[in-house]
Amino acid sequence: MTQLFKRTGLLIGLNLKRDRKKLLIWILVLAGLFASIAAKFDGIYGTQSAIDTIVKTLKTPAMVSLFGAFTAKAPYNTAKIFATEMVVFMAIVMVIMNIMLAVGTTRGDEDDGLLELVRAHAVGRLAPLLAGIVELTGVNLVIGVLFGLGLQVAKMPGADTTGNWLVAVGLAALGWFFGMLTLALAQLADNASGATMLSYAIFGIMYIARMSTDVSNPDLTWWVPFGWIEKMSVYQRNDWLPVGCFLLLGLVFLGLAAILNSRRDLGAGWLATRQGRQQASPWLRGPGSLLWRQSRGVLLAWVIGNVALGASYGSIFNTIGDLAKSNPMIKKLLGASALAAANRVIVKNFIAILAIVIVVVALIPAVQLMLKLVSDENKGYLHQVYATATSRWAVWASYTGWALVSGLGVFLAGLVGMYVTGRTMMTQPIQWITYWHVFLAYAPAMLLMIAVTSWLASWVPKWRYLAWAWVCYGFFSLYLGSLIDLPKWAKQLTPLGWVNKVPMKAIDWPTNWWLLGLTVLVLAIASIGYRRRDLAQ
Amino acid sequence: MTTTAPLLKINHLQKKFGKFEALKDIDFAIYPGEVFGFIGPNGAGKSTTIRVLLGILKASGGSATIFGQDVWQDSVAIHQRLAYVPGDVYLWPNLSGGEIIDLFLKMNGERHSAKTDALIKKFELDPRKKARTYSKGNRQKVALIAAFSTDADFYIFDEPTSGLDPLNEQTFQDEVLVLKQQGKSVLLSSHILSEVEKMCDRIGIIREGTLVETGTLAEMRHLTRTTIDVQTQQATPELATLPGVHGLTAKHGENHVNLAVDADQLTAVMQYLTAHQLVTLTSTPPTLEDLFMRYYAQPNDARTVDGK
Repeated sequence: MTQLFKRTGLLIGLNLKRDRKKLLIWILVLAGLFASIAAKFDGIYGTQSAIDTIVKTLKTPAMVSLFGAFTAKAPYNTAKIFATEMVVFMAIVMVIMNIMLAVGTTRGDEDDGLLELVRAHAVGRLAPLLAGIVELTGVNLVIGVLFGLGLQVAKMPGADTTGNWLVAVGLAALGWFFGMLTLALAQLADNASGATMLSYAIFGIMYIARMSTDVSNPDLTWWVPFGWIEKMSVYQRNDWLPVGCFLLLGLVFLGLAAILNSRRDLGAGWLATRQGRQQASPWLRGPGSLLWRQSRGVLLAWVIGNVALGASYGSIFNTIGDLAKSNPMIKKLLGASALAAANRVIVKNFIAILAIVIVVVALIPAVQLMLKLVSDENKGYLHQVYATATSRWAVWASYTGWALVSGLGVFLAGLVGMYVTGRTMMTQPIQWITYWHVFLAYAPAMLLMIAVTSWLASWVPKWRYLAWAWVCYGFFSLYLGSLIDLPKWAKQLTPLGWVNKVPMKAIDWPTNWWLLGLTVLVLAIASIGYRRRDLAQ
Repeated sequence: MTTTAPLLKINHLQKKFGKFEALKDIDFAIYPGEVFGFIGPNGAGKSTTIRVLLGILKASGGSATIFGQDVWQDSVAIHQRLAYVPGDVYLWPNLSGGEIIDLFLKMNGERHSAKTDALIKKFELDPRKKARTYSKGNRQKVALIAAFSTDADFYIFDEPTSGLDPLNEQTFQDEVLVLKQQGKSVLLSSHILSEVEKMCDRIGIIREGTLVETGTLAEMRHLTRTTIDVQTQQATPELATLPGVHGLTAKHGENHVNLAVDADQLTAVMQYLTAHQLVTLTSTPPTLEDLFMRYYAQPNDARTVDGK
């Protein structure tokens, strides 16, 4: 038995050495974000009137869909608001981190052929997996402890020590659970990108499921593991049951991963790769079609994912846009047509908030495709392409073009999903033109972000990951920005912050035009840079 | 159109990565219809030279032209008439071998032909497998098939057979000979000296970023030593003191020795030996391996011992 785990310690050391920068950044950003928001909360929601206002907002279905059911009971205080607002958002970030780390430490190494070298030495069969488990456990533990300490130091009014540690440990347990789940899924797919897609698909399903149960019947959220994080009654009953559930289910997946791992061949998965074509299809003829051929599966998944996300948001428009439900008197006061108009305003307001989620989701595949220009170069795929009669410009334009198109396409898909379900659910649906305005408003800002990513890939490929930091910051500043009272300049650090609150407000065409102009300029500079630099060795 | 105009011309090529000088001084030419062997130890700059020739890296100094065009400025025009197989072939994991071969062909404006099918058969490649599942040798076959079925004027092979089995290696050599008969030019970088010896008209040896020697194998042989295994009736005490004699070792048996002789002293040494009445004598011509070892092992005296 000990043979199976031989030299795990050595591998853990190696993994930590390899991942130290990544881990350090995740830990510092997460702990810093969490603690600084907690410290700021007292200033934002210090007075009872501010608390009462935000409670009203958080109880609306729109907010429930984004942040989870509002279960806190009166008397409300700052800490309870914090627990409601922050838990789901932090949980999303924890899940993303764990999926990335877990795939990297298992399938990533295996794809690179590193594991083959490692396993050829006197290293136990399960040692690499165990090293991954230990690394994930350690990271989540450290983050959990830092979360707890951060809350203790922040001393929000209404917070108690048990509650502080419950939030911290709960988030860490959720992160760990998703790490273990990903390890198990990584045994099924036979390559890293497949494992990542599978993990995000399951996470996406859980996120959408918890959203719809939260809006319709919060008790049903117990059926969704991701939703357990909302069930801790933090700073009230302080229920540790969800933490126990996370750990227990996490252990089950850990065991499953170990069993699947020990039974499969190295480099193989339970879902095998199919045979390919004998000859290329007629239209596979250059870098553009090559990129499509490689990424079509992933792109299709993103389109479907964003349609589903938009559709699930659209499906609750009816509940959100029903003022009469919460206040029956209002119908008599306003009259039916005025009420419908008022309802539509609420839904439009909601769409304006959701647009940012849909945009950021669309930016992920776009940035990924853009950065593939560098990773394909580093992996050596492009060298042979350049040895053919294919110019640098053609390759750069293919990757950049696809990134721009896929960003816009996935964005539009999300809006279409929202439109279609919104139309079927609402008695007086929002017209397509409204969604089209949202698209026109955000598209230039989005294109500029992709153009800057292209510039990074062309001029300073070593710093390309800044693009991710930028997108993440954009998501953070706009998803949470208004709730944590982020100053205007801080929101405007990404072009997304310059966009008007469409469809509540009109499209700001001057801003759109200069964003587009800047996009063209940045792209021109990027194309020159890519033409001039050396490719990776 | 004249046969004397070189197809590839490299003049004092230099390449720096920051402070590190990967290429210090590379200078050679390849003529139409010639197979040029490019040899040197690991890290000497073979692949860097080739990448500069392909326009993947930009030279820091000197010049390089193929078909009379600059390798950086006119790379696309050059690549139209060029085929390349890298030492480490990386292929898109989710494409099949057949798809990749066709893609490479199309990117040079050509298409899948009967020749392509013949080559797939010859190299025994299963084109339907996804590249992810190919071994190193199979990935190399994909690149080789694509290159050989391209109708180019100049072929660059960077250690193309390092993952192939002997049968496929033979197929590779056959195909290169066919190219040679068609009057195409080939740049072959290799560690497999027998391969170079068999196929190359001329050879260039690169060491630490500098091209230290070029010439035909015959010319180079002339510069090196012949190994002699000899037994004589009479003792040969003066042998060790004769000029041009190296590495004298006694062998089993009376007056039986093994030695290496510089080419220019061979006559004198043979006269001395025959004067002592030969019993047996075997001489081995210098192999490329000897040459290779000589240039690699002794960085400083390589030129001086040549008698240059």
